[in-house]
Amino acid sequence: MPASQTGTFRRVAYTGWSAFRFKDPTFPVWIGAAILLVFLMLLPLGAIFRASLWDDTGITLNRYFEVFTNEQFLKAIWNTLIISTWVGVLAVITGALLAFLVTRTDLPWKKSIRALVMASFVTPPFLGAFAWTLLAGPNAGALNKLYRAATGSEEALFNIFTMPGLIFVMALYSFPFVFSMIANVCELISSDLEDAAEILGANKWRTAWTVTLPLAMPALIGGFILAFLQSLSLFGAPAILGLPAGLHTITTQIWALFQYPPRLDLAAAFSVPLLLATMALIAVQKKILGRKGYSTVGGKGGQKRLIHLGLGRVPVLLFVFGILSLSVFLPYWILLKAALSKAWAMPLTSDNFTLHNFSFAFFEYGDTQRAIYNTFKLGIVTATLGTLLATLIAYVTHRNLFRGARYLTFFALAPLVIPGIVLAVGLFIVYTRPPLVLYGTIWILFVAFLTKEMPIGFSQAESTFKSIHPELEDASRIIGANRLISLKDITAPLARSGLIAAWSFIFIGVIRELSAAILLFAPSSKVVSVVIFDLKEEGQVGVIAVLGTLMLAVSFLVILGVQWFAGRDVVATRE
Amino acid sequence: MANVSIRGLTKQFAEVAAVDDFHLEIGDGEFVSLLGPSGCGKTTTLRLLAGFLQPDGGEIRAGGEVISSPTHLVPPERRQMSMIFQSYAVWPHMTVAQNVAYGLKFKKLTKQEIEKKVIKLLGVVHLAELKDRYSAELSGGQQQRVALARALVVEPQILLMDEPLSNLDANLREEMRFEIRRLHEEFKITTVYVTHDQAEAMATSDRIAVLDRGRLVQVGRPSEIFDRPKTRFVAEFVGKANILTGRFDGDGLLHLGDGVKIRVNSTGEISATGQVAVCLRPHNISLLADDAEARRMAEQGYNLFPGTIRRSIYFGDSIDYTIELATRETLRVITPPSQRYESGQEIYAAAHPDVCVIVRHE
Repeated sequence: MPASQTGTFRRVAYTGWSAFRFKDPTFPVWIGAAILLVFLMLLPLGAIFRASLWDDTGITLNRYFEVFTNEQFLKAIWNTLIISTWVGVLAVITGALLAFLVTRTDLPWKKSIRALVMASFVTPPFLGAFAWTLLAGPNAGALNKLYRAATGSEEALFNIFTMPGLIFVMALYSFPFVFSMIANVCELISSDLEDAAEILGANKWRTAWTVTLPLAMPALIGGFILAFLQSLSLFGAPAILGLPAGLHTITTQIWALFQYPPRLDLAAAFSVPLLLATMALIAVQKKILGRKGYSTVGGKGGQKRLIHLGLGRVPVLLFVFGILSLSVFLPYWILLKAALSKAWAMPLTSDNFTLHNFSFAFFEYGDTQRAIYNTFKLGIVTATLGTLLATLIAYVTHRNLFRGARYLTFFALAPLVIPGIVLAVGLFIVYTRPPLVLYGTIWILFVAFLTKEMPIGFSQAESTFKSIHPELEDASRIIGANRLISLKDITAPLARSGLIAAWSFIFIGVIRELSAAILLFAPSSKVVSVVIFDLKEEGQVGVIAVLGTLMLAVSFLVILGVQWFAGRDVVATRE
Repeated sequence: MANVSIRGLTKQFAEVAAVDDFHLEIGDGEFVSLLGPSGCGKTTTLRLLAGFLQPDGGEIRAGGEVISSPTHLVPPERRQMSMIFQSYAVWPHMTVAQNVAYGLKFKKLTKQEIEKKVIKLLGVVHLAELKDRYSAELSGGQQQRVALARALVVEPQILLMDEPLSNLDANLREEMRFEIRRLHEEFKITTVYVTHDQAEAMATSDRIAVLDRGRLVQVGRPSEIFDRPKTRFVAEFVGKANILTGRFDGDGLLHLGDGVKIRVNSTGEISATGQVAVCLRPHNISLLADDAEARRMAEQGYNLFPGTIRRSIYFGDSIDYTIELATRETLRVITPPSQRYESGQEIYAAAHPDVCVIVRHE
């Protein structure tokens, strides 16, 4: 080919291997993002398997042997299974019932109920658990004091530091997951199917039982698995409520293995079963939810007639608000009270009122200022870079930019199956030794959060791209914009509200994260959730309440901001 | 300037050839339509031309230079082309003027020059007053005009159009056909136009390329395609067609069976003595009931088909008759509304040999 070809069409000559790499001048960006993602996911997982299998002498199964013969470890696994099963069952019952009532009956105040379910969703479980120690601690718990005052009894009515107590609290903060899942399904089940049953003579409730329920069955099982997984990977709530009673779960046991003297190898070996269990359950869930034959649940929802509750409306409404007061009203009330009083257990009178907790938390107590700064810095940086990376990856997979691009979906969603604490074990092993020592800085937390929040950012970005016609971008490319410029000028602005939602989800996820942070923080890189956990040991109830209130307030402000901006329901878009 | 030369172009999707050994030479300033049913590979060909797809075989040259081949691919943004999309693809977050100005951003122009060009083009497509509107505030036809202005303002070497009118209602579609042809006369940009609508292709194009299952079947001026279809597929896809089959028997006549023999438009191409097909357009056949007149026509060399009227449909500006021939085959004939015949009436259908065109049977 002559080298001196010039003219109308400026051409870059490419041959062989370089043709693959530089076919498109923006190619390095896409392949770079892909490689970054793959490394982000593979490094910690690889480290865990390596640390659990290798020692100085070579491959060994000794660690697994040690873990699975130790009675204490086995007990922790057993506890976890019991707790998660109960949480799954309770969350499905509550979540499905509420979802059914909100979508298929004429219950009043549905908007408020949905908003309150979302509030439970946004509340970090460790904060809920902490609030419940104030409500139902055996000695000073507000509800127990009320009970004693009312009955004159010496006994406590509730003791939250028990396995039932722990299950109860974890279920309170898991049911919103099931709720949103079931509510979607209920909205999609066509009334025609139910009408058919009614024409055949079934009454409304019988129809609900024989038609609606079986149609919702895959979603119910999926919801159970979701809640089960959620409680499997929780660290904060079991640590706050279980540890004082000597009750270990897998996550708290992993954490204990990090305390002095640290046994990283055992922690790694102990993480593997948790990882495998999560993967297996996700696979089962996908299979159940992806089954055909339920195509009725997936079309457009037709006109739905609502079941009339009649006289039952009042008791049903009381029941619903009863549940929501357990997850939202009571915990928020006690947190606010604790934040504003000198002695949290005393009534909030003018003598007991104080703003000292706020000034102490923000200006005096050493750790908090830095922790607040770290938290917001990490939140903003992770959300920004996370949204950017998720956007690039979602773009690559959606447009199938190079061979194998669709497999990136697998990597972007992989953290769904990695419990936070397991991820932290892997990252700890990777980043405490050369070539990249991040431990001791907040950047190891950044990497952890970026990895952990990738699935949310990715799914949000992907569903946003799906709604944008590819021709809009082709139109800019053909008149002179390369891929990157097209993404910046056309696709990104059109995806703006979706990407802002992605940013917010990542931000909220980061500022409430505890289970990974608890293993990766160093004294200078504490974040708010870790400080709350530490302060718990010191009994600094007022400061915890202030920080918890701050965390909740910021989360709600961000959500309101997104809703205002996007003019749509955040819970709905998160699905 | 930019002539386009497509040689042996091939593109496969999952082992199926969407475009198969496609050859076409397009002259500078020529307007060529790719016409075919859905799935014939015309849109794939267009996307190959645009550089959105890379061919698996063959090459595309523009202005003499290879722009697409299995090993070379000039990215779309460097091809100096423009494209009009089926969905219009008017960017909803930009005003009409911003949409049109966008492509000029990539040329080294001053703000004033850009503004001047945008205003001029908006005038050409009659959108000057709407320049500050967003696409949500425009009708389909107006959006299509924005897309046209946006594509033309960058002064492309080649303009690609992908079924640009298929989302418009019938009246607007007709109007826009003339509009597209007018703009082509004005700018003389080499244009490749993809459509499944033969009337659109006829109204706009210098030449039409008919595609079937990834292959080019025939290319020619609209009248050539209509009057001299080479294959049965082209005959039936472009316009209405009666297809009769028969065999040559060495006497130069086509035997249709039952003793019916006709003279056909002899083409050197068909030398076969086997089964062949002949295409007769319904408009090119006349009906006559009078025996004497029929004899006169026969003497003038017309082919005569005795038959019976089986059905007639009155359309106001024409009547559509179905005639059953002695061979049990049927013939559709479209006549002016003045020629009225009764159902069941014995009749002659007459067609000049020139309009009895031998087509390849496929």
